[in-house]
Amino acid sequence: MGLESTRRPRALVRLLWGLAALGLIATGCGGGDDDESGGDGEATGAESEISEQGDPVTGGSITVGIEAETNSWLPGNGSFSNAGTNVAFAIYDPLMRRGDDGEMHPYLAESIEPNAELTEWTLKLRPDVTFHDGTPLNAQALKTVFDDYLKAPGTNTAGGLADVTMEIVDELTVVYVMPNPNSGWPDQLGLAVGWPFSPTAAAAAGADAGSQPVGTGPFVFDSWERDSRLVLKKNPNYWQEGLPYLDEIVFRPIPDEDTRISSLSSGDIDVLQTLRQSSGVRVRDLEGVDSYEQLGNTTGVNIFNTTVPPLDDVRVREALALAVDQEQIIEIQGGAGVVPTSSQIFNEEDPYYSEAVNDAWVTYDPDAARELLDEYINDPERSDGKAAGEPVTFRYDCPPDPSLVDMSQLYQSFWGEIGAEVELRQVEQATHISEAIGGEYEAKCFRAGLDRDPLPTLNDAFSEDSSINFTRFTDPSIEENLDALGASNDVEERKAIVEEISMTVNENFPMTYHGSTLAVLGTQEAVKNLDGWTFPDGAEGNGISGATTMWAFVWTTE
Amino acid sequence: MMLVTLLVVSFLTFLLTSLLKGDPAVVILGPEGAKDPNAVAAVREDLHLDDPLPVRYLNWLGDAATGDLGRSYRTGQEVTDAIAERLPVTLEVGVLAIVLALATAIPLGTFSAFRAGGVADRIITGTSFGLLAVPSFMMAILLIWILAETLGWLPATGWVRLTDDPVENLRTAIMPALALAIGEFAVYTRLLRADMITTLQQDSITMARAKGIPTRRILFRHALRPSSFSLMTVVGLQVGAIIGGAVIVETLFALPGIGRLLVDSILQRDLIMVQGVALVIAISFVLINFVVDLLYTALDPRIRHGRTAAV
Repeated sequence: MGLESTRRPRALVRLLWGLAALGLIATGCGGGDDDESGGDGEATGAESEISEQGDPVTGGSITVGIEAETNSWLPGNGSFSNAGTNVAFAIYDPLMRRGDDGEMHPYLAESIEPNAELTEWTLKLRPDVTFHDGTPLNAQALKTVFDDYLKAPGTNTAGGLADVTMEIVDELTVVYVMPNPNSGWPDQLGLAVGWPFSPTAAAAAGADAGSQPVGTGPFVFDSWERDSRLVLKKNPNYWQEGLPYLDEIVFRPIPDEDTRISSLSSGDIDVLQTLRQSSGVRVRDLEGVDSYEQLGNTTGVNIFNTTVPPLDDVRVREALALAVDQEQIIEIQGGAGVVPTSSQIFNEEDPYYSEAVNDAWVTYDPDAARELLDEYINDPERSDGKAAGEPVTFRYDCPPDPSLVDMSQLYQSFWGEIGAEVELRQVEQATHISEAIGGEYEAKCFRAGLDRDPLPTLNDAFSEDSSINFTRFTDPSIEENLDALGASNDVEERKAIVEEISMTVNENFPMTYHGSTLAVLGTQEAVKNLDGWTFPDGAEGNGISGATTMWAFVWTTE
Repeated sequence: MMLVTLLVVSFLTFLLTSLLKGDPAVVILGPEGAKDPNAVAAVREDLHLDDPLPVRYLNWLGDAATGDLGRSYRTGQEVTDAIAERLPVTLEVGVLAIVLALATAIPLGTFSAFRAGGVADRIITGTSFGLLAVPSFMMAILLIWILAETLGWLPATGWVRLTDDPVENLRTAIMPALALAIGEFAVYTRLLRADMITTLQQDSITMARAKGIPTRRILFRHALRPSSFSLMTVVGLQVGAIIGGAVIVETLFALPGIGRLLVDSILQRDLIMVQGVALVIAISFVLINFVVDLLYTALDPRIRHGRTAAV
């Protein structure tokens, strides 16, 4: 469809109605009811509204509006956000991906098996798979990519792979060797580390390898105009027979949420990606648009620096948790009626979600919060060195996004109610992340977790060895449990360990929660099967996790 | 003088970007990559971030003098290539905005001055006042809603290059240009009206009227030229406002222009790119105002003759 706009019927009538509505809004903004802002406030969670899918159709082109541009398409150099990952799944195939059952399954890989100690993972590739440049995907290609690109100094993958080595077993088999048990390794192969690209093409392109990606995926790179459009054409030699259905996909980064929705509404784009609750709600209301929704394991949190007074005292942190009505925080971000409250990193649909952890998490109780904070305030030995009776003060940082500014002000209000004086500061993302890594902050809004295995998620967040343990909260029992989690491949055992870690975390309040991220793909009704992808063995995939999909399985009826 | 201006601008940009909080190495590597302190140190060394500021500036200046603005560490792209890709987009939208603004402001401003105090003057003045109060991003959202979403006449977002498809190019350029032009139109109209009213009160105009020269000829031939000097000055100075507006408008309309490149580069701490883009913007601004000065000479006989007499 490209940039062709779709002429809407009775456009002038709609314009007149719209202008009239604007007038009504302008005169009536002081009153009105709240029916459209979430009803009774009870969260319904992700609710996909999808038209009849029908049988697959071959051919056609679609344009996908994504949130952001990606700096480079070369794994190791590219910073693949959800938007970039979406594109990557058209160019590359992941060795592993998460299935509908929450477990990692081989995708481009044929199989993966650990040794008994979980320190070696043997991966077997599928035969007869070639990169887009015609060179074969084999063990040697995988090793060259691993050693020469992913572990190269200055890449964003080298740090995570520092202790991992790869050995070739035969033409199609490699072994990943690591010093400690790592049950979460298959999860790593679902990320950029596990997206094989042609080492031959990358070597030939040199410094421009990031702008001329060559993978094994269902679509072949055609052209890229940064911040404008990336054009991909059907891979005629794709290893999955009969796929892909589409002849072409165009990805267009449209950073502004409003105009991305307008582009879908006007027909400029066929698919829209968003991770904003409020945008997801708006997409639901668009005419002629299917809405695919999924709650993810990325949770909005406040992180407290547990090494800095007064937030080094658990009484203060617990008081701050008790003082907040999470539903109001979600509502002010536009997620009322959609996003349920959170009590842990994992959402209710995830295998590692724990009902016990949820039950143990605090609920809104400003009186209890005030009492707890007063206990600290009147403590002559209080950690911030102030005289007893002086108010607690700290700074709360958040990026200057309008919805986050509103949220910060609401937090300030909640915490002010119990007697905490909170200074708000808006910081752009780069500073925000640097300060979190460096521990140069007191409290920040953040996001915790990814749609990943709990081991890397919890290890990054709470291990004493992690340089991105932003809260600096550590506990011997967590260290033991992380080791046990790494050494276990038994799902039930792992669930129990994750539950223990989550309990320990929540008892110490290094972070508080404000709702899971709602992943949404909105599509014109002609575009089908965004969430119906499967693994080569027929197992069901995990839908539109993180608002991404496997584009090989998507078709259009136009 | 131009050279001094550019040196000052480039140094200040260097100074300001170095004062920004947030380690570029951490941003480049991301939280995952920044787990490894050695990786962070390697990137810092590659970028010479630990060198003293004057040394970094002089190194950059030396390369820039030879036309080498460096390579973006974030994207791997040559800075000059990135600017060459983006500049035509911003230039086209900016020029189109100025042309649209002038094409409407000149006749309406002139007519408004001619009918000063009348109904038409009040409508034009009131409208331009109202438009001045509307920021370009609001105008952009309103235009998208009317022209793209409701009427379906134009694409809401996106860009097609002139060389690829001239018609589609115009369709993608017109709304961003309009969003920028409407504010400019208001400024130009009010300025021209004020100068034109003064001009129309001069003896030479009274003489022309007495001679029976048609009104249209008096307005556009005798009165417009002497009334347009302030307008020209403002058009030159407003290039800065257009670039500032482009930053927002390019993000809203998803255009691959220089404004969006600048903002993204600042947010991602792509300092070498920021430095290059700032330099190009400064050069453009200085050059445009230099051209405006030349136009003064061409259009105003008093300046031309004054200079000749002085020589």
